[in-house]
Amino acid sequence: MQARLNPLTALAAAAATAAITTAASSWAVSLTVVLGGAALAVRAGVAGRLAPAASVILTPFWLSLLIMHGLFFPEGRTVLAEWGAVRVTTEGLGFALDMGARTAAYVVVFLLFSFTVRVPDLVAVMSARRVPPQFGYVLASTLTLAPAISGRLTRIRHAQESRGLVVRGGPLPRLAAARLQMVPLVLSLIQEAGDRAQALDSRGFNGPMARTSYREVPDTAAQRTFRAVALLLAAAAVALRISGQWPEMQWPELQWPGGVPA
Amino acid sequence: MSQQSLILPAPGQGALRSRRLLEVLGAVSIAATFTFLVLTQPADITNGLASGSTLVALGGFLLGAILLIVGVLPTLPTSTLVLIPVALVLNIALGQIMGSTGLPFYFDAIGTVLIAVLAGPAAGAATGALSSIVWSFINPTVLPFAAGAALIGFLAGLAARHGLFRRFYLAPVAGFVTGILAGVVSAPIAAFVFGGTSGAGTGAIVGAFRAMGDTLLAAITKQALISDPMDKAIVFAVVALLVYALPRRTTLQFAFVRRFNVLAGKKQETPDA
Repeated sequence: MQARLNPLTALAAAAATAAITTAASSWAVSLTVVLGGAALAVRAGVAGRLAPAASVILTPFWLSLLIMHGLFFPEGRTVLAEWGAVRVTTEGLGFALDMGARTAAYVVVFLLFSFTVRVPDLVAVMSARRVPPQFGYVLASTLTLAPAISGRLTRIRHAQESRGLVVRGGPLPRLAAARLQMVPLVLSLIQEAGDRAQALDSRGFNGPMARTSYREVPDTAAQRTFRAVALLLAAAAVALRISGQWPEMQWPELQWPGGVPA
Repeated sequence: MSQQSLILPAPGQGALRSRRLLEVLGAVSIAATFTFLVLTQPADITNGLASGSTLVALGGFLLGAILLIVGVLPTLPTSTLVLIPVALVLNIALGQIMGSTGLPFYFDAIGTVLIAVLAGPAAGAATGALSSIVWSFINPTVLPFAAGAALIGFLAGLAARHGLFRRFYLAPVAGFVTGILAGVVSAPIAAFVFGGTSGAGTGAIVGAFRAMGDTLLAAITKQALISDPMDKAIVFAVVALLVYALPRRTTLQFAFVRRFNVLAGKKQETPDA
């Protein structure tokens, strides 16, 4: 099931969901999207990787929102607690909830896409759609290079430690130790990149000719229709919001009889 | 048998012109979005999420970044292209490490600035935008900052072209100025899309300005003006160290370095001394 999904369909679904959630801008919609994304992740079997990845991104962000808006919110009127400059207000907490939920929806939806997509499929589909082949190269190469580089960094550190490198002390020795590891790493990476450039050039990588691909990515009429509908819906939601015609939902708002207190 | 030429045809003048057009359109899209956000001043985002502005900011900046990538990428020589993944991994690795320390810096542009110094402003801008797009596969919150990252790459390339990397003390100055501009461009994204910054350290600074009664956009812009120039000054200095640690054989492979005398060499230094 998962394997038959065209990468473009998943991408269109993720982008449309993110756009509609942003246009809706209500914490209820955002939380529904997060729950839906989590259910899909469980079904696709990536929940075990997605949950830690999302929490690493979202925990500092939520903390930061709480510090920023939970404690300081000059526009807030309903003060719950006050210590000197710190004012905890209902409006501030509500704003933090709105923003936190919206960002969580956005993070979950796109991580779900990137954890379920097969990068070779995505690259093949993009080059069939006349996206410059260089883009596919950069994308695939970066995602495969990252683990290799962390392994290389460990080897360099071991090599320098065997020559007497000890990381301790104040900032200056630490900086010197970082330099002893960074310079060999960057030098070897640039040297290797030069070798790869020759290999790619000799195979006509930069030529303007169209290329054929061994990799056939399945696509169905139903998926094409789904993509069109999803993108149309997203465009409609964005147009409604930007033109100011979005139907506002009525949330229970705090009313101030006799005007707003100063 | 076949009479087909085995030599790859050179790209025509028309293709080159349409690439140029895409680059210009990308830059115009980013500039127009920023102008719109500054002029309409949806200052009271805190009274409603102002998601219209959010959508305009996201759409305009992303469109500009994508146009820049499509316009620049096919024109780059292979020797530059293969460096881009290396630069992106450096950006991502250092950015992740810095993001986890809680300090109010980012350090996520070392690779971008390195490419810009070696291969010029256009390559730098494309690398910055690509960095955000590829990184978003791991951390989707960096995607909206693609335009700011492209601006950093472009300005670093300009600085290199005008010889600011020939003197070691000039590189951090160029970084400082770049940081001011990049911070001003990125602040609306942080404010409208995320309602704040993503690190605990930067969040505390924004909170301090909010406590003095600033609007959210003003507070985030001031925070960016504290963090970004320092951050970029350090990044430019680190890149200057790295570039001078590279063997000249490697740096002189790049046509941009040769043409604009980006790095001080023995030949350039003697007349000045």
